[in-house]
Amino acid sequence: MYQALLTRRYLTSKVMPLLAALAVMLCTAMVLIVWSVMGGFLVMLMESGRTLIGDVSISSPGTGFAYYDDLIKRLEADPAVDAATPMIEGYGLLQLPASSGPETVVIKGVDGPSFERVTSYASTLWWRPLDKPLPKDAKRQDPRLSPDRREEFARFFAEGSTLTARSRAGDPVGAMVLGVEVGGYNARQVEGWYSPVVFLPGDTATLSVLPLDRRGRVIPDQATKVLPIANHFRSGLYDIDANTVLVRLDVLQKLLKMEATAAIDPSTRAASVTSRDPATGRESFNQPAATRLAPARITHVLVRAKSGIDADTLRDRCKAVYREFQRAHAADFDPPPPEGGGVRILTWRDRNMTLIAAVEKEIYLVLFIFGIISLTAVFLVLAIFWAMVSEKTKDIGILRAIGAGRLGVAWLWLRYGLAIGVVGSALGGATALLIIANINPIHEWLGRNLHVTVWDPRVYYFNEIPSRFEPLKAAIVLAGGVLASVAGALVPAVKAARMDPIRALRFE
Amino acid sequence: MPLITITGLKKTYRLGRVDVPVLRGVDLSIAPGEWVAVLGASGSGKSTLLHLMGGLDRPDRQRGSGGAGGEIVFEGRSLADRSPRDLDRFRAKSVGFVFQFYHLLPELTVLENVGIAGMVLHRRRGRFRAERVGDRARALLAAFGLEHRLAHRPAELSGGERQRVAIARALVNEPMALLADEPTGNLDRATGQRILDAVSAWRAKGGQTIVMVTHDPEVAARADRVVRLEDGRVVGG
Repeated sequence: MYQALLTRRYLTSKVMPLLAALAVMLCTAMVLIVWSVMGGFLVMLMESGRTLIGDVSISSPGTGFAYYDDLIKRLEADPAVDAATPMIEGYGLLQLPASSGPETVVIKGVDGPSFERVTSYASTLWWRPLDKPLPKDAKRQDPRLSPDRREEFARFFAEGSTLTARSRAGDPVGAMVLGVEVGGYNARQVEGWYSPVVFLPGDTATLSVLPLDRRGRVIPDQATKVLPIANHFRSGLYDIDANTVLVRLDVLQKLLKMEATAAIDPSTRAASVTSRDPATGRESFNQPAATRLAPARITHVLVRAKSGIDADTLRDRCKAVYREFQRAHAADFDPPPPEGGGVRILTWRDRNMTLIAAVEKEIYLVLFIFGIISLTAVFLVLAIFWAMVSEKTKDIGILRAIGAGRLGVAWLWLRYGLAIGVVGSALGGATALLIIANINPIHEWLGRNLHVTVWDPRVYYFNEIPSRFEPLKAAIVLAGGVLASVAGALVPAVKAARMDPIRALRFE
Repeated sequence: MPLITITGLKKTYRLGRVDVPVLRGVDLSIAPGEWVAVLGASGSGKSTLLHLMGGLDRPDRQRGSGGAGGEIVFEGRSLADRSPRDLDRFRAKSVGFVFQFYHLLPELTVLENVGIAGMVLHRRRGRFRAERVGDRARALLAAFGLEHRLAHRPAELSGGERQRVAIARALVNEPMALLADEPTGNLDRATGQRILDAVSAWRAKGGQTIVMVTHDPEVAARADRVVRLEDGRVVGG
């Protein structure tokens, strides 16, 4: 077709269409980079947000629920479930050493080994021996790299994993692991490592909680305990790392009076408080004739899905298992149903919905703004094509004289716009891919040579700029670039098609 | 039966608020294979007549055969009865235009400039047609002595060479009529004569009808018949 020949020739012999292609390239690259970085940020946020909460959580806040061992056993027997772990979540006060007052914190009581199976918790422990420095720590300033302290850090890691430390007497005692930002004891450095202002592992802190009874009423005894600090964790979400304390499950159960306790069976209660021994005549308090064991309680069961099972499927399976559990224990303690708010069964996404929705909205807003900015490409292509159609008026007249129709002439210019869109979008996609793949080295180069550090880890809570190149997003953006170019060429194409061939031939 | 019959052809252009009648009722009949020269002064309407004959323009208020603007019948069919698409095909297939200022496409090579007319006609008819068009373009250019210029751009050619390329383009689809608008008007006398010799030789082989507009009596003398256009009307021939 003659249009293909002319498009090829116009494209390679003129500077103006290359400028239009450059505009399309810049716009597509800009939108794609922004979308990829924001998308990477969202993914990082979601991954961080699910770090310590498993795929699905079954929770009964406040009073909690008993017989959780049976629930976990039932859950782990389900083919969709990889592992499950008990957890208590509540609030408390933390008095840190050298601190002027207590801090309000979220306290999570966890069982180290099973918590690790569900959440890969050990990977979040900060103080551990390191062989390789963090990507930006070229000078190896991270104290974890110190060969002299390997043993010490290995001990902190082991103690953090089990939430068990040694007392001064050498006995194993329940310990706690603090979020790395709790109390501001660790100073985040520009390279991403932490410099401890006061090195807390090995020290102790005082934890105070307010226990609730089995009916969810406050027990008027504040429970306070001094616990050793085993390590710090870093989930990647500042809000969690600045406000959360992990404590060994049995320690928190005792503090909150949620451990297994002996209970009086009301049916065996004596009629009077005291009784007199007929043989000796001595009066004594009546002891209950029979007791039973009130089972320990927790507030959450966290569940991890088997590979290939999505969170929504797992949630549905958890609901089914919980219903069976509820039926089995109806006579024991009447567990609340999964519907109606008594027990909440939520995926990690549901739990982080507020955060995720906010970032998703932010992404759409930014894309909308950049999309509007990219509309300039449409007008730029329109202006360039308008000028080119004027310049090529005589060519249009010649084509009409040799038999080209109006539609054929219009298609020539639309095709030309399409070619510029394809070239610009392809170049834009390649540029974006190149920048996204090297965004951190580019950023570091800017910092090193021009002293421009846009994402400072001391300010932002990530060491590296997140990015995620997704082929589908790239296809959408590149198709948008092509469409924008064709849209820009539309009006000049109509102008060319409507041109009077006689006037066109006489054009000077 | 004549190839072209023109009856009462009128064309008026509007310049601002003023109507300027260019053709005031032209009657003309041209036989197949005839070479007709249309002679007239500048502004006499020669080019307008040629554009109307080639379907590039429409007569005044033409609404079907025999309308107020007159009629052009080509090979027994009125141009007024043709749809715009039909007229495009008519320009591509049945007539070939040659202009005074060559009107070649500057980005294309000599071969492409000739071949593009074939590409326009055979839009979607596959590779076979395209190859045939290419072969025919090469043959024509060789016949006009331009076989060594195939890959050159128009800017690299002399005026005479450009006009020969333009003629080759006009002839590549083997039209029934060649409509030439002052084809030697921009050339020196000797070059102009060589161009006319080439056209004449080609006509001798192919038997094309030629309508050549000129203001040069010497050029007109090469034609079988000379028609004079004065004040928008045919006054001789």
